[in-house]
Amino acid sequence: MKQHDLKEPHYTPDATESTSQSSDVIPGPGYPAIELVGVSYGYGKDLPVIDDISLSIPQGQWVTLVGANGCGKSTLVKLMNALLSKGEGSIMVKGKELQSDTIGDIRKAIGMVFQNPDNQFIGATVEEDIVFGLEGQCLSIEVMEERVNSYAEKLGITELLDKHPSELSGGQKQRVAIASILSMEPEIVIFDEASSMLDERTRNDLLNILSDMHKSGRYTIISITHDAQEIAASERVLVLHEGKLIADRTPTDLFQDEKILEMSHLIAPFAFQLTTALHRYGVDISIPNCEKELTEALWPLHSIK
Amino acid sequence: MSEKLLIGRTIDTGSWVHSIDPRAKMVAMMLYVVIIILSNTWLEMAYVILFSLIIISLTRIHIKYFIRAAKPLWVLMLFIFIVQCIKVDDKNGAILLSIGSWNLYFEGFKLGLFSVLRMVFLVSFTAILTFTTTPGRLNQGLEGVLKPLKVVRVSPDRFTLMVSIALRFIPSILEEAQIILKAQASRGADLRELPWKEKGKMLVSLLVPVTVGAFRRAEDLVHSMESRGFRLGEPRTKYHRLVWRKRDTIFICFFIVMLVAMVWMSGYGTGELWTL
Repeated sequence: MKQHDLKEPHYTPDATESTSQSSDVIPGPGYPAIELVGVSYGYGKDLPVIDDISLSIPQGQWVTLVGANGCGKSTLVKLMNALLSKGEGSIMVKGKELQSDTIGDIRKAIGMVFQNPDNQFIGATVEEDIVFGLEGQCLSIEVMEERVNSYAEKLGITELLDKHPSELSGGQKQRVAIASILSMEPEIVIFDEASSMLDERTRNDLLNILSDMHKSGRYTIISITHDAQEIAASERVLVLHEGKLIADRTPTDLFQDEKILEMSHLIAPFAFQLTTALHRYGVDISIPNCEKELTEALWPLHSIK
Repeated sequence: MSEKLLIGRTIDTGSWVHSIDPRAKMVAMMLYVVIIILSNTWLEMAYVILFSLIIISLTRIHIKYFIRAAKPLWVLMLFIFIVQCIKVDDKNGAILLSIGSWNLYFEGFKLGLFSVLRMVFLVSFTAILTFTTTPGRLNQGLEGVLKPLKVVRVSPDRFTLMVSIALRFIPSILEEAQIILKAQASRGADLRELPWKEKGKMLVSLLVPVTVGAFRRAEDLVHSMESRGFRLGEPRTKYHRLVWRKRDTIFICFFIVMLVAMVWMSGYGTGELWTL
C-alpha cells in the first residue's frame, strides 16, 4: 500500500503530450486530477521551499497534506493554482499543463478555501461574496441566482445571505467561503488549513462537510491540516518535510509510524494511541478507524474475561 | 469602535427611499449640496430643514442615527463657527458682544450659525445614501454615475472595486488596531494614561503593526480573489442590475423642485441674487 501512488505516476513524456492534445475528453474516475512532476520552488538555489516533488492525485480522491509549520505545504498547493509563479517541473491539472495561457482554465477547475475566514471574504455581504466568483465566470443572472440559493441551502447559510461579515462567527464565515467556492462548481477543492482557526464543534461541522463532499464523488479534495481526526477521515496522506515528500500512505499506516509522526509534528488520534499501547500488552485487536470502532472491538474482550 | 462607525452601514427599514435607484440617490445628494449652499436667509434655511426632515422621515430610520452621523465632526463645526465669528467685520452691523477692541457682529454670528447648520444637515442628510443603500448597490450606483469618466480613460469598475474593498476592510483594520492597542496596554503601555506627546509616539508604534497587518490581509485577499478566477480587465457579468423606475424620477423631481424654489427665493424673492 505504501507509496503505491508514487509507483504509478501515470506519467511518461508521451502520455503528457497525448493528454494535452485531447483536453476535451472528459476524464473518468481514477484519471489523475492533479499530476506534479519534478516540481521545485524556492527563493534562490540555496533555499528550496519545495524540492523535486512528483505525485499524482486521482480524481475523486480525498488527500490530506501534512507536515510541520514551514515545510512548504501552502506553497505546494498555491503552485497548483498558479497563485505563486511557476518554479521548476511540470504541473498538470485535469490533463492541462499549467502555463500562462491555461491559468484561467486551471483556476476554474480548482477552488481554494484559506485559513483566515476574514481575509478571504471579498463581498460586503454573504450573497455578494458568493456571487463574486460567479460574475467572473460570466454566468447569467438566472444561473447565479439558482447557484446562490442551492449552495446557500446546502451549507445552511440561507438565513445569512444579506449579512455583513462582521455579523458572522468564524465557523459561519468558513461556511460562506466554502459555499463561494463550491458554487463555482470546481472539480478540485483545496482546503489550506481551513479548520485551524475554528473551535472544536465548528471543526467537526467542517469535517462533515468534507465527508459529504467526498461521498458525492464530484470533488477531488486536497486538505492541509494538523487535525488528526481530519487526517483519519481522508483516504491518503502526503507528508512533507523540509520541502520534500517523505511519505505517501493511508492514514492507518501513517499513525503507526512514530518516526514520521514525530517529523511532521503530529499526534495520532486517541483510538490509534490506545490500540498501539494495547498491542504492547499483547491485546490483539485490529486498528480502528474511529473511537466507535475501538469501543466495538474492546467490549467483547471484557465479556470473554 | 466599530459600533460608533456609521459610515457605510446600512440600516434596513424597507422604506420607499430604500428602494430608490442608488444613481438617483447620488444625483439627489448632489442637488441637495447645491440647495443647501443656496440657502442664505432664515426663511430659506427653514424650508431646507423642513424638506430635509420630510425626506429623513420617509426613510423610517430613527433620527438619532442621523444626529450620530454628524457628531464626529463637531470639532470642525466649532472651528468653522469661531472662524466665521472672528472674521466678519461689519462696521455698520449690530454688535452682539464686545471684548476689548474686538466685536462680535450679528452678521458674523449668523454666518457662523448658518455654516454649522449647513454642515450638520449636509452630513446627516447625505448619510441617507449609506443608511438606505447596501454597499453593493451603492457601488453599482457609483459605477453608473462615474460612467462618463470612461471618456477620459478612467475605468469606473476598477475604481468601484477599490472603493468596495476599502469599505469592506475599514472595520477589520480598525478592529485590528484596537487589538494591538489592548496588547500594548496589557504590557503596561496604556495609551489613555499617557501625556499627549507620548501618545503621539505610541501611535507611531501602532502604525507599524497595523500597516504590516493590512499588507498581510491584502495578500490573503488577492489570493482569494485570484483563486476565484478574478483577473483585472476580464469580462464579468453583473448580479445586481440597476433598473430605472418611475419612483426614481419622482425622487429626483423633489430635489429639482426644491432647487428651483431656492434659486427663485434667493434671486427674485428677496431681490438680492447670490448675496446675503
